[in-house]
Order: sequence, then structure tokens, then C-alpha cells
Amino acid sequence: MAKNEAITQRKKKEKKDPVNIIAPLVVLAIIYVGLEIGLRVFDVPAYVMPTPTNILIGTIKSFDIILPDLLFTIKIICIGFCIAIPAGIVLAALFSQFDIIVKAMQPVVIWLVITPMITLIPLMTLWLGTDPNLRVIVVIIQATPIICLNTLNGFIHVEQEKLEFAKSIGASKFETFIHITFMNALPQVFTGIKLGCIFSTIGAVSADFVSRGMGLGDRIIKFLKYSNFEQSYGCIVLIALIGISLYTIVSAIEKRIVLWKK
Amino acid sequence: MKEPKIKFDHVTKIFETRNQSITAVKDYSMEIQEGEFVAILGPSGCGKSTLIRMLDGIIPTTSGDIYIDGQKVNHEKKKMPQEVLRKMGFIFQQPNMLPWFTVRQNISLPLQVFALKGAKWEKQVDELLEMVGLKEYANAYPSEISGGMLQRAGVIRAMVHDPEILLMDEPFGALDELTREQMNMELLDIWSKTGKTIVFITHNIEEAVLLSSRVYVMGTQPGRLVETVDLNLPRPRQLSMITQPEFIEYRQKLERFIGKIDLSKIK
Repeated sequence: MAKNEAITQRKKKEKKDPVNIIAPLVVLAIIYVGLEIGLRVFDVPAYVMPTPTNILIGTIKSFDIILPDLLFTIKIICIGFCIAIPAGIVLAALFSQFDIIVKAMQPVVIWLVITPMITLIPLMTLWLGTDPNLRVIVVIIQATPIICLNTLNGFIHVEQEKLEFAKSIGASKFETFIHITFMNALPQVFTGIKLGCIFSTIGAVSADFVSRGMGLGDRIIKFLKYSNFEQSYGCIVLIALIGISLYTIVSAIEKRIVLWKK
Repeated sequence: MKEPKIKFDHVTKIFETRNQSITAVKDYSMEIQEGEFVAILGPSGCGKSTLIRMLDGIIPTTSGDIYIDGQKVNHEKKKMPQEVLRKMGFIFQQPNMLPWFTVRQNISLPLQVFALKGAKWEKQVDELLEMVGLKEYANAYPSEISGGMLQRAGVIRAMVHDPEILLMDEPFGALDELTREQMNMELLDIWSKTGKTIVFITHNIEEAVLLSSRVYVMGTQPGRLVETVDLNLPRPRQLSMITQPEFIEYRQKLERFIGKIDLSKIK
């Protein structure tokens, strides 16, 4: 009974503690005001950095121009991300079945994580044509390895005693995988997915930079060309917001699934 | 003569590492009758953990045979059959709970794997939880309960599929002295009520004498059986017995054996 009390108390604290929401907002407000004052006092020119208020006004004014690019980028990131998650996990699951494949594939995966996919985009355009929707592939190649790498790490680092327990009750390979290996890796799977959010965003925007024609990355360059600094900063903020939103969604799902880690 | 419950017939285990082969257990033989409580005593590195892991099919033997109820159970490569594994429950040194499952889910997992379904087994889980006072905590996660509770959960997880044999690998070694003594007494209580065969691994001489009817003393390098000591101490055993002369005599006897082993190791 004492335990039940303790647990409900903790849950309440987690859910209702307003500090968790207010504190970051206060920080955000301080940054906003600080920048606003600092930029005006030191008379920083707009091409270095426009004031936050001007960014906000400029972005809202041009929002009808930005919107199609915003939606396009969100679409590319989401589709790519949704394919990269299962792809990364399934690949890791396959690799982890055999020690030799883990040893063989780990350096390859790391190599893929490190290589900036932006370098491959011109080649991909050559292979696949210029359809903007093909940028999904860039996102997939960018995000899958990092998800795979983290998941694989979780899959291969299972406490020996837990596997011994599985053997002592004669669990099959499949049972051992779902009850022990996969569950053991779940926190790391989520770490991989969260990194995947960041990588997908990077992938999508860098694809825009190279392939042009559409997307927020492309819009930033177009605005800069016509000295619309406020609007290009606005696009940067929007890209950050997409990444943060994805990250927050994944974190929220993680909290609902990974209940045992407090 | 009655078939022994567990029989080791010249069992040897050699671990092959990259540049050497280590004999963990050499030519080990013993017979344990049904319902006995035996202890295997030895310093760390004597292969006592390897021994019961071979018995429970966790690691294969190199040579020699293991019999349970007269049936040869070890195969060099193949997995031990489910119906043999069902006869045994393994209690680890650490509670070894799966942190992602609640206490109840942890305890029910062997039932799921052994495909034991139905109200009878559900009731079994409830009764065991009740027995060790974990009923209130059935839906807690392992990280939310104390070390003593966790080890209790580990004990009943090994008992949930109603095994005839309990294998315990220094089960309470990670607990504090007080909790450990209490758990030992609870274990004796469970044993006298259920009549299970218990193989108890320990490096603690006092514990071995207090609990078991026979002590197998193991030595190191290579891990082997050094001496078998039958204990003629009355039951039920109580903590107060550790000051009685017979108890002290047995303890000193075992200490001498262990002492010899240590000397040979230094040489």
C-alpha cells in the first residue's frame, strides 16, 4: 500500500509539475527579449541577424509563399522517417542474429552514419531524375543507419544472466528475442529514433539545398537572393520547429511505452 | 536401490578460449536423492556455478553424463528438452528480474514459455506472491521494490512451474546479512513443506552447514570434487544451532578442507 502511494505520487509529480513547462518558456522569453534588445542596442544589421519581432512579422507576412514549401518538407521528412524507423530496426534485428554479421556490418553502418548524405545527392539526381519526391530517399538513407546502429547496440548488449534465465526455461530463439533482447534494446531504439528525427530533418533540408525548386531549404536560398533576411530566418526557425515537434512526439510515445525507466 | 534424482557421472567441462583451454570442472561425480537438500561449497573459481549451469542446460558438458530420474539429459550440442527443464527451477545470484516487466509478468514468464495456461497456474502465481508477501507489489516494476523483495520474486519465479528440483546459485549472496539469514530460514521452510530436491551453491561454510544434509566441497584448478561431508544435524534447523558443538565441529572440518584447497592454490 505504501508503494501504491509512492507510485501515484510520482506519477502526479511527473504529469502536473508545471515547472517542466514554464521553465523552458521563461528561457525562451529571455532569449527573445535579450536578442531584441541586444540587436537594437548594438545596431546589428539585418543581414547578420534581424530582430526576433521582425522575423516574426516578416514570416507571417510571407506565410502564403512559405506554406507550400513547409508542407512539402514536412511530407518528405515524415514519409522518410516512417520508412527509416522500421527499416533500421528490422536491419538491426537481422544483423544481431549472427555475431559475424554484427562484426561485418557495424563498421559499414557507422560509415553510413558519418558520410554526409548531401554529398550523394548530385549523384542521386543523376540516377533517379529530378522528381522532388525522391528526396524521401535521402531522408531514408540519412536516418536509417543511425536508428540501426543504436538498435543494434541494444540488441547485442544483453546481460548474460538474462539470457541464461531464458535458457533455463528453454525459451526459443524467437521468445528470447521478443521477451528479452528487444525489450532490453527498447530505450536504445528510442534514442536511435530521436537521433533519426534530427538526421531526417538535416537530410530533407540538405536535399533542398542541392536539388532546389521546392522545400524550405530552397525557400531560404530564394529569400536570401532578394535580401529577405527576416523571411529566411523565419524558414530556419520553421525547420527547427519541425525537428522539435518530431522529437517531442517520439519522447511522448517513449514515455508511454518505456514505463520501467524513470 | 532407488534411482537417484540427480546423477553426475564423470562430468567434465572445458572452456576453450582464444589462447588456452580452461578445465572448469574435472571428472565430477555425485548422486542426489529425491527430496534432499545438498550444498556445493567451494571458493570462487571452483566451477560450482558451471556445474549447476550444466545441470540446467544453460551450458553444455564437454564429457560425462548427467541423469535426472535415470534419464540422460545432456547432449553436447542440442538444447535440453522442455519436459526435462520443467523439472528444474533456477535461482540466480542476482534477482535477475527483467526490468521491463512487472513483478507479476516476470513470475508468469516461465509459465508462458512452458505453455502452462489456465486458472490453476494463475492461482499458483497468486499463492506464491502471497507466500513471500509480494501480493501488494505484483504490479510494481522491479526498480520500484527492495533487494530482498526482488530476490524473493526470483525464488518464486523459479518455483512457479512447480519444478521438482530447485537449483540455487549463491541465491542470497547479494543480500545483507540480516535479510540473508531470514531468507535462508524461509527457504528451509519452503523445502520442508514442498519436499523439493534442492541443490544449493555457496561459498559460505556456515550457510552450507546450517541448511543442507550433505556438503560437496569443491577445489580449484581444476574445479573438482574434493570431499563429501554428510551432516547429521537434527531438523528443523534453527539459527541458534550455529553455537552448538556439533555445528562448530562440522564447520571446522569444512574449514580444514577449504583451507587445504587454498594452500594448494598458492603453491
